[in-house]
Amino acid sequence: MNHRSLAFRLSVWYALVLSATFALVGGAMSYGLEQYLRANLRDSLRRRSIQVQQILAQAPAGVADAAVAEAIETRVAPEFNNRFVRVTRAPQIPAYSAGAPADQSFDPAAVPRQTEPWPATALVRQMATASGPMLMSLSTVDGASGKYLIELGSALGPIEALQHRLLSLLALMLPVLVACAAGGGYLLVQRALQPVERMARTAERISVQDLEARLPVAATGDALQRLSTSLNHMLNRLRDSVFNSHRFLADASHELRTPLTIIKGELQQLMTRQSGGAVGERIGDVLEEVARLEHLVSGLLVLSRLDAGDARREWADVDLGRLAAGTVEHMRLVADDRGVRLQVSAPAPVTVCGDARRLKQVIVNLLDNAIKFTPPGGVVGLTTRQLDGGVLLEVSDSGIGISPESLPHVFDRFYRVDGTRSRDDGGAGLGLAIVRSICSAHGAEIEVESTPGTGSRFRVKFPQPAQAALAAETSSAAARL
Amino acid sequence: MRLLIVEDDPKLADFVARGLRAERFAVDIARDGLEGQRHLDSYQYDLLILDLMLPGLSGSELLRQVRATRPTLPVLVLTARDATQDKVEHFEAGADDYLTKPFDFAELVVRVKALMRRTPVERTDVLRIADLELSRLTQQVRRAGQRIELTAKEFAVLEYLMSSVGRVFSRTMILEHVWDQSFEGVTNIVDVYVRYLRRKIDEPFPVQLIHTVRGVGYCIREADQVRDPGQE
Repeated sequence: MNHRSLAFRLSVWYALVLSATFALVGGAMSYGLEQYLRANLRDSLRRRSIQVQQILAQAPAGVADAAVAEAIETRVAPEFNNRFVRVTRAPQIPAYSAGAPADQSFDPAAVPRQTEPWPATALVRQMATASGPMLMSLSTVDGASGKYLIELGSALGPIEALQHRLLSLLALMLPVLVACAAGGGYLLVQRALQPVERMARTAERISVQDLEARLPVAATGDALQRLSTSLNHMLNRLRDSVFNSHRFLADASHELRTPLTIIKGELQQLMTRQSGGAVGERIGDVLEEVARLEHLVSGLLVLSRLDAGDARREWADVDLGRLAAGTVEHMRLVADDRGVRLQVSAPAPVTVCGDARRLKQVIVNLLDNAIKFTPPGGVVGLTTRQLDGGVLLEVSDSGIGISPESLPHVFDRFYRVDGTRSRDDGGAGLGLAIVRSICSAHGAEIEVESTPGTGSRFRVKFPQPAQAALAAETSSAAARL
Repeated sequence: MRLLIVEDDPKLADFVARGLRAERFAVDIARDGLEGQRHLDSYQYDLLILDLMLPGLSGSELLRQVRATRPTLPVLVLTARDATQDKVEHFEAGADDYLTKPFDFAELVVRVKALMRRTPVERTDVLRIADLELSRLTQQVRRAGQRIELTAKEFAVLEYLMSSVGRVFSRTMILEHVWDQSFEGVTNIVDVYVRYLRRKIDEPFPVQLIHTVRGVGYCIREADQVRDPGQE
């Protein structure tokens, strides 16, 4: 479980708040119950002591204590009602003492006697005894045979026991309840976040090459729905703007082509008639610039077509190793001419899915780049290799390398590592940009590492072609049969 | 031989027309699709050069009409769109050949002539210029009777240059003929091969045959054999 996920954090908060609420309610309940039971008990003790007072007040003078005791037993029934009753006649003569209560909640003998002076008015107070705390009512009454002290009490133990049982019940239920609530909450939040999850999955598929996909709109009528529709509006605007910029690039490079044809054609015709001489020299200069411009325009067109997703049209399984080896043979003389050694390692066939013409362009541009920036005596290496779940194409050189500041920009359009570097070879700064565009159209990752003075290494990682994997699976299945 | 150019860019049309007239073709120009249609209805042309992006009646539409009425008229399409898909569509619509802008005029001439069969596809087995001899059958090259060893690419470049003695071949034409478009950006790949070729067939001998036409390309000819189409 992800500890930072919204669902997890919400559930934890939910559980904490719920536990606190539950504890608060439980405490209040237990306190209220205790107060209620005590008040009840106090009331009952008062009423009983009034009954006893009446018996004592109505008893004629000289009546036997036994008769009084019988009257109390009959009317109050202290043992049956779990009450403590003790009557003392002044001065400290025991007149009646009730026996042990039916529930054994206290020991009558353990209740200490009230010493003189007796309280003038009736009072109820809590008293600690050897058999636990008791609530005692003390009152005096003047009978015919003298002044009586009536001690009437009840053990507080049963109330405490009741309170304990309530609290332990609550304590037992709390974790269960909180766990249920938190678990339920987690599931609910996850369910509530499912539309967001779906939106995220769709959003991940959207790239500059494919801006057509739209997020599923969660019909919740709330913030979530607004979020998905406004994100979709944003995608529309984004697509329009990307489309417009691609369109501009395509139109601009198109519009340049006709004037270029005329300039080039006119100059070439002039040149064939008048080669040599000062004028011919000038025309030659201009024609060389025209060739550069032409190269630039065709590079821009290639990029604009890649932007438009054109590379996906003619896909097939391509043996990258063979393609690489063949391409190197075409380039070998160029490398020889520069005094650069070409080393190829393309041992086993490695298959990628793509447009062979474009993939070749990747190899040509990377090799050309490597040869260009490697001094005579250097080595340019090309490797193709099967990886786990992919195919690697690597071009390394022992050239001048790229500075760390320039490294992140080498794939940018029109980027030149420095002004002097590619001025004289007519490079427009589009070669590596084209390489990156082709790679991303093929779902391949390209990365470069370089140490100035030691050399650079370009690594292209192509995804495993699904068809190739499938074919391999069926052929191995056939082999097992 | 009468040609019709349907092209809305007047300068391009004029330039192509001028070049083709110098090659001794009769050339008419139409500025848009409808004018092109009228011309086609009035005259018998031997070849149509058609730009696809035209105002009024589009080039593709005109091409369909031409194919319906004159199925044998050769049509060369000029286009600024060179995506493979576009090319396939042009061929399906009935174009016999296409040329992508910006094109080399020399290539236009080669293709026009091929389409009109004025220069039948010559498969002479042995090509000769001065004392240089190239045998397509045995893939052997001799100069002054001396056998010269060439690599496959060098042979292909030489064969292409010798296929039309005196004609200037642009780097792009050589590149597309001997390699393919992928190598377009490669630093002077054509120049490197031509230099190696020269070392073998020119340097050991007193007379140079391969000539550089700066900014244009290369041609193979004997010393003063400049081929000027205007004076032919």
